[in-house]
Amino acid sequence: MKKPTQKKPSARAVLARMFGATVEGISIEKSVLTGYAAVDGKKVCVIGTCDGTYIDNGAALRLAAHVIECIERAPKTPIVMLVDSAGQEPNRVAEMLGLASYFGHLLSCLELARRKGHKLITVATGQAVGGAFLCYGMFADRIYALDSASVGLMPIAAMSAVTKIPAPVLEKLSKTMPSLEFGAAPFALLGGVEEVWSASDDIQAKLAAAIAASSTEDNRAELGKKRGGRKLALDIRKKVLAESAR
Amino acid sequence: MTGAILFHELTARQRVAALVDAGSFSELLPPPERITSPYLAQLGIPVSFDDGLVIGHARIGGKKIYLAAQVGQFVGGAVGEIHGAKLTGLFKAAARDKLPCVLIIESGGVRLHEGSSGEIAIAETMRAIFECRALKVPTIAVIATDIGAFGGIGILSTCCDFRIMTEHGRLGISGPIVIEKWMGKKAYDSANRALVWKTSGGKTKYLLGDADALVHDTADAVRDGISKFLGKSSAVSLVSVKARQKELQKRLKKFGAASDPDTVWKSMGVRDIQAASLASGPEFAALAKRGK
Amino acid sequence: MEKFTKAFPSKPLPSKTAKPWALAGVVGSGNLEVMLERGGKPSDAMECHVETSIPGYKASWLAALSDFAHHYPAGGTKVTINDQGAPPVLVNLRLRQAYDHLTKGDK
Repeated sequence: MKKPTQKKPSARAVLARMFGATVEGISIEKSVLTGYAAVDGKKVCVIGTCDGTYIDNGAALRLAAHVIECIERAPKTPIVMLVDSAGQEPNRVAEMLGLASYFGHLLSCLELARRKGHKLITVATGQAVGGAFLCYGMFADRIYALDSASVGLMPIAAMSAVTKIPAPVLEKLSKTMPSLEFGAAPFALLGGVEEVWSASDDIQAKLAAAIAASSTEDNRAELGKKRGGRKLALDIRKKVLAESAR
Repeated sequence: MTGAILFHELTARQRVAALVDAGSFSELLPPPERITSPYLAQLGIPVSFDDGLVIGHARIGGKKIYLAAQVGQFVGGAVGEIHGAKLTGLFKAAARDKLPCVLIIESGGVRLHEGSSGEIAIAETMRAIFECRALKVPTIAVIATDIGAFGGIGILSTCCDFRIMTEHGRLGISGPIVIEKWMGKKAYDSANRALVWKTSGGKTKYLLGDADALVHDTADAVRDGISKFLGKSSAVSLVSVKARQKELQKRLKKFGAASDPDTVWKSMGVRDIQAASLASGPEFAALAKRGK
Repeated sequence: MEKFTKAFPSKPLPSKTAKPWALAGVVGSGNLEVMLERGGKPSDAMECHVETSIPGYKASWLAALSDFAHHYPAGGTKVTINDQGAPPVLVNLRLRQAYDHLTKGDK
């Protein structure tokens, strides 16, 4: 796997690579992206995060508000979700106010959009970690990642600190257990990412194709089995469905 | 029968037995199938025959339901690949058969030892829960222990139609130790039980409207609570999400700068904080007017 | 982790039991789960499979299991244990609980 060596591009530069000149329709406020742009000449709604920001209650509400607005004002417009967030801030006021419910609300808005015919495409552009990825990005119809993105539950050092399992042990195991490895490529092996896009790819063309090929059928367990990173999930799910049908 | 034993003291299997009509539980992928985590085994951590999740179908008051109960003692009830796949499969079965699905939650979220697999499984289960909701198949989460619903499972619980909590239950994303590490002991002392429970405990969640019922910590009360929601569903509609957006905005504006959970309690109509702290769930619910 | 398998002579299990299998306990710190299943062979031995996170206590495991096989008619059962450091007294209790569930049912 190639390690990114180039300097981290700015949020605007990443957006420009995806949306060209139409990037002007996207506003960035406190590292939260909302707006409209075009992909291959066709309008898309954009929501997301940048700068590895922490998603708090307010950010979740602003994302949700934009999804609602899109459902009302731009029916069936595909929604592109960009993810560059380090997670939710472990803040006691946020928790007291029910951050989980704010995230649940954002997910409900996205579900409504899906039911009303909006395609949902995620591109992990930077950090796509833990709760920040779960609260909107992983809820898309299809999920993509730039190869420079940091995708996964958490880096091995952090995992080691919490589980008290020495990092070298986890490092060694991650060679045969992609779920322990951190990054876009191993996440794709698990089926969590449909395809990883590299720096040399024409991202606008890739995004257009992704929107065209999107399906609301969750295919992640199938992908995980096919790619060998998550071999058990699909069969166990099928077993539950088969045993319960008897 | 089980009234004398507190619900939060039971094991997952005991909870299932105490909640459903006698003899009606039929387990799916039961322990003799030995579907255990190969990942934990590689890490030298003991495995469990059910991978920390008991699933099956049963009847409550004669009504057929699907039911899952997480085993909090087993790696914190955390979701690994097998545990998560069982959960996804169960909600998919509920959608297929149009039967209510009840999840007795006791989980800190993703099982770190299995890395991103559990995270994806939670995302897949969220999709399956919303499949149920689109079909008006009730999805009910019960949160009744201090292990509670945290991390990805905290988020997942908010995707269900209804949440039933007891005063022992806790719902959130970041647990107290993580918050203390992040904010410092001065700002948040994880050993301060009153503060911890007022931050994520059932009473506060009920006041804010994030828990739909606050019941006694007994199997009988939890069963009654579940029964009340079995015939109901909460549709995801433009009207419902717009109302929720307004409500959550109002909550953030009102309490976003609140440094003390007591502020929330007071403003929600709790006059005597001391008495309310000591009150049982239903007594508490009566003491305070419900926050909307 | 330590893993071992051993069969102990035991009088045959009653020909009728309430359930084909029974489970007692949970895997958690200082605790264990014990599963008893019918259909172990032969009918005059209790077949045991133990996995424990605390190595070095094989002798006391064998003593506890042998003692149980001696006192209960458990021939023809398969005993499988996942242990996370349970004390011997708890091992004994879980074996009896699982046996009661198996022979008499849950209640």
